Amino acid sequence: MDSQFLVSLLLIVASFGLYIGIAVYNRAKQTSEFFVAGRGVPAIYNGMAIGADWMSAASFIGLAGTVMVLGYDGLAYIMGWTGGYLLLTFLLAPQLRKYGRYTVPEFIGDRFQSKTALVIAAIATIIISFTYSIGQLAGSGVVIGRLFEVDARVGVMIGVVIIAIYATFGGMKGITWTQVAQYIILILAYLIPVIFMSLQITNNPIPWLSYGNVVSELGELDRELGLSEYFAPFENASKWQFMALMFSLMAGTAGLPHVIVRFYTVSTMKAARWSGAWALLFIGLLYLSAPAYAAFSRFILMKEVAGSPIESLPAWTEKWVNTGLLTMADTSGDGILQWQEIAISNDIVVMATPEIADLGIFVIGLVAAGAMAAALSTAGGLLIAISSSFSHDIYFRIINPKATERKRMAVARWSILIATVVAGLVALNPPGVITQIVAWAFALASGTFFPALILGVWWKRANAPGVIAGMVVGLLVTLTYIFLAKFGGFTILGIIDTGAGVFGASAAILTNIIVSLSTKPPSQKLQDEVMDLRYPEQLTYKDGEVWKDDHVS
Amino acid sequence: MRKIDKKKADAYFKSRVRLIAILLVIWFGVSFGVVLFAETLAKYTFNGFPLHYFMGAQGSILVFILLLFVNAYITDRIDQKYNLVEKKAKASKGQTLQS
Repeated sequence: MDSQFLVSLLLIVASFGLYIGIAVYNRAKQTSEFFVAGRGVPAIYNGMAIGADWMSAASFIGLAGTVMVLGYDGLAYIMGWTGGYLLLTFLLAPQLRKYGRYTVPEFIGDRFQSKTALVIAAIATIIISFTYSIGQLAGSGVVIGRLFEVDARVGVMIGVVIIAIYATFGGMKGITWTQVAQYIILILAYLIPVIFMSLQITNNPIPWLSYGNVVSELGELDRELGLSEYFAPFENASKWQFMALMFSLMAGTAGLPHVIVRFYTVSTMKAARWSGAWALLFIGLLYLSAPAYAAFSRFILMKEVAGSPIESLPAWTEKWVNTGLLTMADTSGDGILQWQEIAISNDIVVMATPEIADLGIFVIGLVAAGAMAAALSTAGGLLIAISSSFSHDIYFRIINPKATERKRMAVARWSILIATVVAGLVALNPPGVITQIVAWAFALASGTFFPALILGVWWKRANAPGVIAGMVVGLLVTLTYIFLAKFGGFTILGIIDTGAGVFGASAAILTNIIVSLSTKPPSQKLQDEVMDLRYPEQLTYKDGEVWKDDHVS
Repeated sequence: MRKIDKKKADAYFKSRVRLIAILLVIWFGVSFGVVLFAETLAKYTFNGFPLHYFMGAQGSILVFILLLFVNAYITDRIDQKYNLVEKKAKASKGQTLQS
């Protein structure tokens, strides 16, 4: 046990103590006015809470590495994961807030008055959240693996135990202030290393202004080595793949059940709009920094690690080689480690960078704590989404409507446990890097929920058979495309598995419209409810007339 | 509850939809539009970056953030114009109204 291990562990434990402390403190004070106080949260803090909920291991651990490995093509993730907030905030969040349900399957079930639609939406929620949590568990495996200097797979197993315990805290998740704290830890842990690296490399403490020249210099280094330039567009994938991936991530963002739920914690449509704006500002701090991270660490690797004798590599390399995520082999046998002989997994770039740049044990520990906050907070939310979909939407409403409260809680607990263990088993041998696995979850959300919600909110003619057929077709098309592209090498226009959402969403929208138009329109009451979503919450639409309630705030 | 002119309510809806449509056109331009013309933009540089890279890594995100705030701000003004400002905000613990 070295001092690095102790410092990292201490910071992780201390940050977890902080989250639990805040949760307990707030709960004790607010039992009676829990919902009112919850809804009194100012938009700016709700924005931070959305940021913590949203930024998972994929954003924190995976994103910078993905950009480093893919160069310009990795920026599809940056634009996709930020641009989706506009679709969400402009087209869905305020309207879903006015409709006032608690979960997305519940909205779909009531908007279309169909139990079948509710069940399909619940199953889609489970599939999406499950896929997403595989990425989170793989991410915690990377962090824990490095911490204990063990194989990342052993790290996953430890992560499963921690996450299963964490998720059973359950109610704690609902408390916004915990997530505000998680956001602050996470963003500090992300920004401090990148600011230090910027100072080291460019003598300018503002990475966003300084790394442009580093990007250009990387292009030159690549040209010298006879590689394609770092910033050259569409080297790793076609332009169509870039746009398909970007679309999948944007539409998926607008349809992700556990993100939409965060907009229910504010009281008005106005607050929903401002929350969305603040959320993207806070998320943007990390997303604007990820490409800088990528550029700086690639620069250090190329300048300082590549080209050095294989005998005298820095000490940090050995620890990462132990996790199985870094290989440095002198394949040419000349005793010098060439750039081409380094194989670095996307997923370790952020975690390894503070060590690569020699930033000291405190910063390394802080990054570990931030990464754990990102992985665990999102995984906790996802597992709760899975268990509530299963225990409430499927078990209670369909299988056993007479179930007691206790029985339902037991079902919820067991489904968290089983989902965690099964996701952990898949994560032992992750079917892709973290960002890719998470991209599948987004592709699935864009193929199922995005069309159902957009049409449900904006088109009153959309009916139950339409949305059922749409969700089923969207899910099948997206899943089939992911499997065919990933394992069968099948592609259209060079679009690979991560861009599958574009086909799923188009198929679902078409199916939804065609089936809706060829079946009976929804009842007048349902159509009125959709008309009602056009107006702010003070106005109510009823029988072709609009009423204003001056007392609603 | 009192009835209000449906024409007025629809005018409100129309101005909201117009705003969203304009913002989404800009959104489309700085994301999909920039990618579509990436090779052309790569010939220019901005702040040390090739322009297509700058747009992907910083430019488009900054525009997205700006559009969200513009939407929130202008919608508040539209709400005011149609006299739909919340009369009685639920404030607690010394929070200001209309924050």
